Amino acid sequence: MTIPAGSLLTAQDLRKAYGPTTALDGAEFSIHPGEVVAVMGPSGSGKSTLLHCLAGIVMPDSGSITYNGREVTSMSDAERSALRRSEFGFVFQFGQLVPELTCVENVALPLRLNGSSRKEAERAALAWMERLEVDDLRKKRPGEVSGGQGQRVAVARSLVTNPRVVFADEPTGALDSYNGERVMELLTDAARSANAAVVLVTHEARVAAYSDREIVVRDGKSRDMERVV
Amino acid sequence: MSIGQWSRDLAMGARFALAGGREGWTRSLLTAVGVGLGVALLLLTTAIPNALAERDRREQARSDHTFSQQDIPKADDTLMIVDADTTFRDLDVRGRLLEPEGPRAPLPPGVAKFPAAGEMVVSPALKELLSSDDGKLLRERLDYRIAGTIGEQGLVGSQELAYFAGGKGLAELLEGPASGARIDRFGNEDLGSSDAWDPVLLLLVLVVFVVLLMPVAVFIAAAVRFGGERRDRRLAALRLVGSDSRMTRRIAAGEALAGSVLGLVLGTGFFLLGRELAASAEVFHVSVFPSYLNPSPVLAVLVALAVPAAAVLVTILALRGVVIEPLGVVRTAKPSRRRLWWRLLLPLGGIALLYPMIGQGDDGGNFNQYLVVGGVMLLLVGVTALLPWVVETVVARLGSGGVAWQLAVRRLQLSSGAAARMVNGIAVAVAGAIALQMLFAGVDGNYTRASQYDVSRAQMSVDVPDGSDPSAIIGKYRETEGVRKVTALSDVYLFDRGSEDSSVQITLADCASLREVATLPSCHDGDIFAAKGSEYDSASDHLAEPGTTLWTPEPDGDTARSGERPVSWTVPQDIRQAQSREDPTGYERGGILVTPGALPGKLAAFTSARLFLSLDLSVPDAYDQVRNTAARLDPAVQPMTWHSIESNDRYATIRTGLSVGSACVLALIGASLLVSQLEQLRERRKLLSSLVAFGTRRRTLGLSVLWQTAIPIGLGLLLAATVGIALGAVLLRMTNTSVRVDWPSVLSMTGIGAGVVLVVTLLSLPPLLRLMRPDGLRTE
Repeated sequence: MTIPAGSLLTAQDLRKAYGPTTALDGAEFSIHPGEVVAVMGPSGSGKSTLLHCLAGIVMPDSGSITYNGREVTSMSDAERSALRRSEFGFVFQFGQLVPELTCVENVALPLRLNGSSRKEAERAALAWMERLEVDDLRKKRPGEVSGGQGQRVAVARSLVTNPRVVFADEPTGALDSYNGERVMELLTDAARSANAAVVLVTHEARVAAYSDREIVVRDGKSRDMERVV
Repeated sequence: MSIGQWSRDLAMGARFALAGGREGWTRSLLTAVGVGLGVALLLLTTAIPNALAERDRREQARSDHTFSQQDIPKADDTLMIVDADTTFRDLDVRGRLLEPEGPRAPLPPGVAKFPAAGEMVVSPALKELLSSDDGKLLRERLDYRIAGTIGEQGLVGSQELAYFAGGKGLAELLEGPASGARIDRFGNEDLGSSDAWDPVLLLLVLVVFVVLLMPVAVFIAAAVRFGGERRDRRLAALRLVGSDSRMTRRIAAGEALAGSVLGLVLGTGFFLLGRELAASAEVFHVSVFPSYLNPSPVLAVLVALAVPAAAVLVTILALRGVVIEPLGVVRTAKPSRRRLWWRLLLPLGGIALLYPMIGQGDDGGNFNQYLVVGGVMLLLVGVTALLPWVVETVVARLGSGGVAWQLAVRRLQLSSGAAARMVNGIAVAVAGAIALQMLFAGVDGNYTRASQYDVSRAQMSVDVPDGSDPSAIIGKYRETEGVRKVTALSDVYLFDRGSEDSSVQITLADCASLREVATLPSCHDGDIFAAKGSEYDSASDHLAEPGTTLWTPEPDGDTARSGERPVSWTVPQDIRQAQSREDPTGYERGGILVTPGALPGKLAAFTSARLFLSLDLSVPDAYDQVRNTAARLDPAVQPMTWHSIESNDRYATIRTGLSVGSACVLALIGASLLVSQLEQLRERRKLLSSLVAFGTRRRTLGLSVLWQTAIPIGLGLLLAATVGIALGAVLLRMTNTSVRVDWPSVLSMTGIGAGVVLVVTLLSLPPLLRLMRPDGLRTE
């Protein structure tokens, strides 16, 4: 695969196995700044593994991942952690908010990990919460809010550091269709306005419809899909 | 609510526990192991009284003679027995020389046949020691052929070192310093009844038991809640299919019940295994036989009933604050603020029970055992009641800090009860231990004292058998490896004719040895001195006058040797004065000091010699080299090893018991802390992985785990120190001892508690790092 010009994040010939199970078998990927790419595929096809590799959470067994001209696979664990803290944002299926922190503290957490003061971090967090229409939940704990509200808080948390790439792994998987669509609208709007790229792992066509481009992963191999309009 | 409904729900819970797949099994097993360890410890404790009684019975059954017993004539059912105890390194070896005087001579318990002269029967532990490289030196001393082993009935513990050796001419041996007698049976009743317990020692025993068992009870209560959070989620599914919240709680209690019953079985297994292993172990010189390590049936039944009942109660109480809703949503109900008043009632009640006994520790006083146990229990239970309130109140006021601190404080604010529960066991153990250590430190002076021996001048002493040549014996000791110096002092008391009440001590020794008992102006062989300045020897002043004639005792006098005619001696004119000083035993002697050249040989025969040995302690086994020399010279002679501190045996045993028990309890609590810590971490596996995914440093998460443990532990130890000091003060007042806080023990006990937590945190770090791996994010 030739790397498209201007790509922010690319992957070539990624291979990854968990014991005898092959998760990625020569997968390819690329994304431009501000682009929303949906990674689709059936359960167990390797799409989450692809996301984890792209985000530097899991190291592939072989292959290359380049972010902004830097080779991710040759970075140390500390360098990859720093990259995730400052350049990437994450949304997972169940939000994964810290249950003992209030919603605003959860959103402010990535900034605090980056060294911002509490006040400064919570001010920025509140601005994002307003944007995602959850600012009234700021003093509540995750256990006291609904699933849709929690997921919007998680989206605010993923965007609070102004990341260049947001990784969203089945962000609506635990939500009803109304809440799911609302979360997707807010996520993609906010990301586009911040010129952040979004890697969106989903198996739902309705969710993938929010993307600019779709990639299908099957048996560890990826291929671009023609979009029928 | 019908009993039928209760039992149906409990049975359903038990079925879930046992047939609920891997997760159900894991949880039940976790509870069972925790409860099992606690039950094993409880069963062991209930077996201790039996074990002690059996040890006493065996000790009495093999007792042979007393110093004051009546002489009996030689007959065909008599046995000559001579003590031949010895010490090897720090191990005591019980030894007896036996010589049957007829075919009906009594056999000692555990011995099938008398060993012939030159043979011995030994305990299994001694046999093992003698055949090992380690026991070479002892083998030299016990140079008899091993003809058999002593059976269990003749031994009090499995690791006891004991032997019976065949002897010859023991009757003559008894005319020397040997201790022994002619007996016609074993099992002296005079030795059987042990003295009444000193009330303070009894108090110590009671408190030690309560202090050691309370944390075990707290631990069992914690163990039945292992894996609780995951279970709560599973129970939500039951709500979905129509179970109401009370039913759900009962079903949960049923699960805990199954775990605790399994725990009882495991605990019995652990106990039986431990009982067998106990045979090969010796802790602080105490060993036991499995055959008598049997729990008291009543107490065992009590344990069997109380543990499952406690499991049900604890689970139902614990679930009061948890709202289990259908659709898998479990929310902790907003906890009502903890109230202080009833929590304070417990320790205050404890003090109220103990208060009437203040000042009862005088001689002849007594303590009401029930009030002591009740009072101490209430005070310690008070710690477990107060701690959740203290933790909740303090963490609610904790301010913000770094991310690690914030994560920890917020978690504690959300579930301070769980944190308090986790440290309850440690807090109770530490509070009890502080109180006990204070009590020990307070009454220490009554039971231990600095010995008078000057261990810088000599470390051992040994008597020279009467009638033997001291100079030859001194020579043997001087040649012994590790002996630096031998001070030999021979004594005889001489009397004013006709008055045995007026006597003077004559000390015969060479100049070097005399310098150990007096400051001499100058000294040559043939010199003689009157020792001045002794506190006790008032008669010596006039009897040490030159020209005074002194006599050895009359043949019928108490101090005379039978068959010897009195010999006279006149104090010479050239006697000089010398200033008395303390000898190595701390005794300041008066009387007359004589060098060998100044005392007629016929008088020297009346003296008894004692040797004081100064050892080179850098020589390995110097003490045992001396003991070997002594045994070669006379097997009935036992050199005495000097210690700078002397302590009451019972007191030392109780202190030892506390150390052993505390070590077991702290290890148990440490294990429980580790299990609950790991369980909490496993619960948060996904969250931890996601935190790492968005770049949280592992150090931050590690620190947050440390804070989460350190904050409640810090508060727990502070509370434990407060309650411990209060309890210690009350106990000291009860024994009429002035109250003094023993800060070193307070600090060391809290330090040990903190150390346990630190170890647990360190041990939980590797799993924490593993759980932080991105694998936790995988769902397929």
